Amino acid sequence: MASTSCSLLRLQPGSTGSIHRIEGMNPILRRRLADLGVSEGVMIRLKGKGPFLGPITLECNGQLFAIRRKEASMIEVNVS
Amino acid sequence: MSSIALVGNPNTGKTSLFNTLTSSYEYVGNWAGVTVEKKIGSLKNGAGKLIDLPGIYSLHPLSRDEGVATQYLIEESPEALINIVDASQLERNLLLTLQLLEYGKPTVLGLNMIDVAKARGIVVNHEVLQSRLGIPVLPLIARTGKGSGQVLSVLEKASAIPQATFRLDYGGLAEAAISSIESELKSIPGLPNLRWVALQLMEQNPVVLELLKKRMDTSRLMVICDGCQSALQSSKQALTLPQWIRSVRMDYIRSLCTAAMDTTLLKPHNLTERLDSILTHRFLGLPLFIFFMYAMFKTTFDWVGGPLSDLVDGLISGPISNGASSLLQTVGASGFTHALIVDGIIGGVGGVIVFVPQIFILFLMISFLEDSGYMARVCLLMDSTMERMGLNGKAFIPFIIGFGCNVPAIMAARSIEQPKDRMLTTLLMPLMSCSARLPVYLLFAAVFFPAQQATAVLAMYVLGVVFALILCKLFSKHLFKNESSVFIIELPPYRMPQLKTLGRSTWEKGKGFLRKAGTIILAGSVIIWLMSYAGPSGLNVEMDNSFLAKFGGLIAPLLHPLGFGTWQAGSTLVPGFLAKEVVVSTMNIIYHAPDAAGLEGQISQVFTPLSSVSFMAFILLYIPCLATVGVIKKETASWKWTFFSMGYSLVLAYLVSLVIFQGGSLLGLS
Repeated sequence: MASTSCSLLRLQPGSTGSIHRIEGMNPILRRRLADLGVSEGVMIRLKGKGPFLGPITLECNGQLFAIRRKEASMIEVNVS
Repeated sequence: MSSIALVGNPNTGKTSLFNTLTSSYEYVGNWAGVTVEKKIGSLKNGAGKLIDLPGIYSLHPLSRDEGVATQYLIEESPEALINIVDASQLERNLLLTLQLLEYGKPTVLGLNMIDVAKARGIVVNHEVLQSRLGIPVLPLIARTGKGSGQVLSVLEKASAIPQATFRLDYGGLAEAAISSIESELKSIPGLPNLRWVALQLMEQNPVVLELLKKRMDTSRLMVICDGCQSALQSSKQALTLPQWIRSVRMDYIRSLCTAAMDTTLLKPHNLTERLDSILTHRFLGLPLFIFFMYAMFKTTFDWVGGPLSDLVDGLISGPISNGASSLLQTVGASGFTHALIVDGIIGGVGGVIVFVPQIFILFLMISFLEDSGYMARVCLLMDSTMERMGLNGKAFIPFIIGFGCNVPAIMAARSIEQPKDRMLTTLLMPLMSCSARLPVYLLFAAVFFPAQQATAVLAMYVLGVVFALILCKLFSKHLFKNESSVFIIELPPYRMPQLKTLGRSTWEKGKGFLRKAGTIILAGSVIIWLMSYAGPSGLNVEMDNSFLAKFGGLIAPLLHPLGFGTWQAGSTLVPGFLAKEVVVSTMNIIYHAPDAAGLEGQISQVFTPLSSVSFMAFILLYIPCLATVGVIKKETASWKWTFFSMGYSLVLAYLVSLVIFQGGSLLGLS
C-alpha cells in the first residue's frame, strides 16, 4: 500500500502514523519531545483532541502527553 | 559520611523510594509531587546521606528545576548515584542512565514499577541489563517498599559499589573530538570525569559550558566542537553534534531494550484510557472539573470541615479557656497575666487553630488530585483558556497549590520551562486565595451568608482567579511583548494514591500552618493584645483609647470609601501583611470575643453584608504576605518585580473594594 504523509492533526483520533518530519518547531519544545523519544521514524498515536481548540493528546512509546494544535501541525506523519 | 544522590526522570517514584530509605530528613523545600530543590535525608542504616534531586529527562536542563540537578552533579561530588528508572518506560528512561554512567561514579540502577510494567505485559530481564551496563540493577516497587531493603544493603558500603566503567563508542569523528577536548581539560582542577565533561560540552549543555567559562578560555574547545560538527555534516552522518550523540545513544538503547525486554504481551492502559475518555472529554471534561472543585469546597467547608471546626472551637472556648482561667486563678496570677493568656494568647491563637481541620482537609484533597494523575489532565483542559490569557496550562498546578499557600506555589512554578510564563505565574500567584485568607472568608460568610457558606467562599476564590486571568492578559500584552509560550505535558497513568503517601504530603503542607500558629500568629497576637491593653494613659485602658485604636484610626479615613472605615478594620490590615492568618486573631482580640459565636455577633453589628464583601475582597487582593514577598524576591531575583507585585495588588485591592462598596450602595444594597 502506498503511504501518504500529512500533518499529525489530520489523523483520526485513535489512529497511528509514523513521524516523517518535524519542522519549524520551537527549540525548547523540540528538545522536550526528543527527551520523550518523539523523533523521526517513531510511531505516534493521536488519542484525542481537547476542548475549545485545546491541546491534543498523543501517545508515543507507551507515554501519554499533550501538546498544542499549532505545534502538532508541524509534525508530519506517514500513514499507510 | 558518604552522600548518595537519587536521580531519575520525573514521576518514576524517586520521592517514594527516598521516603522508604530514609528515616529522618532535613526539609529543603519539597512540595508534594514536585521536588523543588533537593531533599536531604539520613539513610535508615546510618550509612550516609541521601539526596533527592528534582526529576530530569536528561542532564541538559530546560527549566530551572532541571538546572538544580545538573548543577549538583557538576559542583558537588556524590560518592554514589542511585538512578531510578520506570520499568514500563524503560527506553525513554535509559537516555538519562547513559549520561549518568558516563559520569563515572559508582551507580546502582533501581528498576522501579516492575508491578506496573508486568500489569501492562512488559517483562524486563534485570540480569541482562546488569551485565550489559555493568552496574548492579535492583528490581523495585517503591510504592510498597518492595526491594528497598536490598537497595539499602547495597548502599551499606557505598565504597564497595564498583565504579561505572560503561563506555559508548561515538564513532571515529566524535571520539577524536572527545580525546582532544579531554587533553585540553587535563590542566583544569576540580572537574568530574573528563570524558563526561567533554560529551556534555559537545551536547551543548549550558550549565557545563558556564562552569568551564569560569575556569578557562573555552574558545579552543568550541573550535573542536565546530570542527567535529562540520565533519559530521560533510560525511552526511548528522546535522548537528548533539543530534549525533543522541542518535548513537538511542541506537544503543534500542538494542539494549530488545535484548532485555519482552513486550510480546503488551497491553494498553485500560483504566487510564477509560478514565481519560470521560475526564478529558471535549465537552464533559471541563464541567466535570468544575463539579469536582465544587465538591471539594463543599466537603472542606460544609460537609466535613465545618462540623470538625465547630468541635475544635467548642474545645478551645469551653474546656481550654475555662481551664486556663481557673488554673490562673488558683495560682494567683495577676490581672495582667490572666488577660494576656486568656484574651491575648488563647483568644488570638485559638481563633486561628479553629480553622486547622478545614485547612488539612483541603490539603488532603489537593494531594489526592496530585497523586492520582488528574492534575496533569486539568492542565490539559485549562491550557486553551490559559493560552488565550497569555499563559500556559502548566501554570495551573502552581495556581492550585497557591490555594494552599502562595509560597510553595511560587516555588513550584519552577517546573515551567519558559522564563516569561514563570514570571507571570509568580506575579499573579498572590491573587490565589491561600489558606490564610480562608479564615477571614469563613468568618464573614458564617455571619452574613449562613445559608450559602460554600458558595460565598467559592465566590471569593473565583474572584481571585478572574482577576488573575484579566491581569495575566494585561501583563503579558504590555510587560512581555513578543514572547510566545509553549506547552507540553506528560500524562501519567491514573493510579490510586496510597494512604501513607497522602498522609505524609498532607502533613508536610499543613504543618507550615501549624508552625505559623506557634510563631508568627502567637507573637502577633501578643503584640496586638498589648497594643489594645495599653494606651497613652497607661495600662488596662478602654479599648477605644488604646494604642491600637489610635493607630487604626490613622488608616480608617482612607478606608472609609470602601465601607469599613473603622479603627478596628484598619488595625487588622497591618498585621495582616505579616501573615494573613493574623487578621482573624486580631479581630478576636479587638472584639474581646471568647469564641467564634461571640466574634460573629460583634461583626454582624459592625459590618453590613455589603461592607463585608468589600472587606473580604480587600483581604483577598491587598499586598501578599511577608513570606510571599520574600519568595518573590528570591525567585525573580529582582526588587523591581517584587515591588511591582506589592504595588499592583494594593492598588487593585483599593479599586475593587471601592467599586464593590460604592457600586453596591448606588444599587441600593447595604
